[in-house]
Amino acid sequence: MQQFVNTVLGGLTLGMVYAAFALALVLIWRSTRIVNFAQAPMAMVTTFIALQIIEAGHSYWLGFAAALLAGLVLGAVVERVLIRPVEGKAEINAVILTLGLFIVIHALAAVIFGNRYRSFPAAFGIRGIEVGDTTIALTGFGIFTIVAVLVVMGLLVLLFRFTDVGLRMRAAAFNQEVARLLGVRVGRMLTLGWALASLVGSLAGLLIAGGSLVHPGYMDSVVVYGFVAAVLGGLDSPGGAVVGGLLLGLSLSLVSGYVGSQLVALAALAILMVVLLLRPQGLFAQGRERRV
Amino acid sequence: MNALHRTGRRRLAGAASILTSLVLVAACGAGGRDEDDGDGGGGASDVGVTEDSIRVGGTFPLTGVAAPGYSEIPTGAQAYFDWVNADGGVNGRTIDFEVKDDGYDPTKTSSLTNELVLKDEVFATVGSLGTPTHSAVVDFLNDEEVPDLFVSSGSLGWGDNPEERPMTFGWQPDYEIEGKIIGQYVADNMPDAKVGLFLQDDDFGADAEKGVRQFLDEQVVEVQRYTSGNTDVGPQIAALQASKPDIVLAFTTPSYTALAQLVSLKLGFKPQWYVSNVGSDPALVGSLLEQFSEGAVAGNASALNGIMSSEYIPGVDAPDNPWVQLWQQVWDEHGTKGELTNYRIYGMSWAYTFVQALQAAGEDLTREGLVDALEQAGGDFEGPNYAPYRYSEDSHLGISGLQLVELKDGKGEPLSEVLTTDIGDAEITEDDSGQFDDAPPEGGIPDVEAND
Repeated sequence: MQQFVNTVLGGLTLGMVYAAFALALVLIWRSTRIVNFAQAPMAMVTTFIALQIIEAGHSYWLGFAAALLAGLVLGAVVERVLIRPVEGKAEINAVILTLGLFIVIHALAAVIFGNRYRSFPAAFGIRGIEVGDTTIALTGFGIFTIVAVLVVMGLLVLLFRFTDVGLRMRAAAFNQEVARLLGVRVGRMLTLGWALASLVGSLAGLLIAGGSLVHPGYMDSVVVYGFVAAVLGGLDSPGGAVVGGLLLGLSLSLVSGYVGSQLVALAALAILMVVLLLRPQGLFAQGRERRV
Repeated sequence: MNALHRTGRRRLAGAASILTSLVLVAACGAGGRDEDDGDGGGGASDVGVTEDSIRVGGTFPLTGVAAPGYSEIPTGAQAYFDWVNADGGVNGRTIDFEVKDDGYDPTKTSSLTNELVLKDEVFATVGSLGTPTHSAVVDFLNDEEVPDLFVSSGSLGWGDNPEERPMTFGWQPDYEIEGKIIGQYVADNMPDAKVGLFLQDDDFGADAEKGVRQFLDEQVVEVQRYTSGNTDVGPQIAALQASKPDIVLAFTTPSYTALAQLVSLKLGFKPQWYVSNVGSDPALVGSLLEQFSEGAVAGNASALNGIMSSEYIPGVDAPDNPWVQLWQQVWDEHGTKGELTNYRIYGMSWAYTFVQALQAAGEDLTREGLVDALEQAGGDFEGPNYAPYRYSEDSHLGISGLQLVELKDGKGEPLSEVLTTDIGDAEITEDDSGQFDDAPPEGGIPDVEAND
């Protein structure tokens, strides 16, 4: 029983991180119809920036804030400098660009930060909470992870539903021509979309790193699982991304604990295939028309 | 990035195939070979040997996730070779050691070993590191009849079958005898204990499990395996915890030792731990655990207090040991930057054995002569090793035993005598060879008679 509870809790915490990452993918997908594979190394770089700051003796939260800010800036810069020139051409061009970026950032990070395991501190306790005489696999940092992702999701919903900027971003994503005619600065909205996505990605990077070990490749599997989670929820739906992330985290944790850790990647692939075969639009996208 | 192309969306199919071809191109990276067929030296000497030099080489992870610790091994060996060269070398020949960085990637190991053998024309490879990496080249080296000495890995494949791989020799105790020795210790001292196994899902874990099960088959209540590269070991540790073991035997690499300790803390899982020699370096694992907040994990070397492990050569925790004093002197005189570490001592220790092998092979140095010398005389080599080597015509496996210890503030406190055995059902006995107590010769250079 304890094993089941702990495996489920571990899966849910990890699922939250996948959800955040899926959210970042969905944000970019919604506005530009491309999947940003470079999200993983971008988040890795910002996490290493946080680590450098923390190891230099500054507080965890300063590193945390710096990483989020760096994520915001990095996302904007990537969109402006690299993605903008291929805008309007086939989407595959941009996707391949993000793959190239993936490899370049990886290589640079290995040179700059070193290609080895390093430990990343956690802001809250990394001991499990004790209930009676058993310990459950929910740590202070785990709770923080869950809360942080929920808060970010809430903020995004508020932004898109209730603010002027959010409305313009949705308009730009929905139909660039019409939005332009209506006076929306589409270019700026796209940049903002990328920046926000990259910020959410950075958050995921920080959350998965906390209380564990990082190296330049540590986010690589997360981009795959985040992508599966996003497809699971329907690439268009932020709420779906979160539910997809949780479902995936949970399933993979159960597979790892009860079947074997070597089958985790395979299980993710199997889930992806089943979803694509049975419900290609994802669990949550209704295929209905979007209204702006 | 290995799994990136597992996408189903049509839109991404093109991206997927491009990624696949990128991976393929990277894998084929090596490209053409130099067709440089120069003759190596004359007389009764062999490829890579001249009047006044011997060229040898090896592959090591100088970068990549396996680099921490392991990248220090060749620096230690180099320092010892410099020490010997400063004294005139072996039979008037200096040792020229070529180190290649394979990043723990078997495809690279393959192309770099090709380069060592065909382009650099080394006489032998020494100390090449890693089970998956070296597995990719061991047959090539044997086909080319290049002596392949002292592989830095405890896999059985480096010596349990000399007929199949006549040129390959292991050095450190193999994982099976380590498994046997801790297995018997637990069976004798904790006969009612429930035992959990936490294993790397490859030869490392499999060889160790084979040894452990000889003694603990009845006592093992749970076996969990982790896949190297997947850092979420939570579900595995939760499964171990559910079986309520009294002791967990972990055959893990240092990063996974640290991860397992972290997750155990999270789960409140507190069994007695035994961590394999390769995964228990207190300095390295301690530095990984050091960071964690609130003093939840005690800093540095004390992070592994109370954990059982094993030793087969003296390390930096024993500064009074005459061998360690020699290594310190070697490092002070010829080392690069950084302190003397256990990994550097490891490199120096097999470098010492290599010098012994060269001496035993005599003045007319040939590849065949070197292998013969190790088979004939290698079993009697005296060195820093606690237990004798097993080198003979029937076995190319290295050190035959180890001492069980309990870690305390980075030091190993003995739990047993030095215990020796061999693979299979060979008995485990207390070592009476005196290897444990010997000291290095004056000058720190071995003096082995040439084998006739």
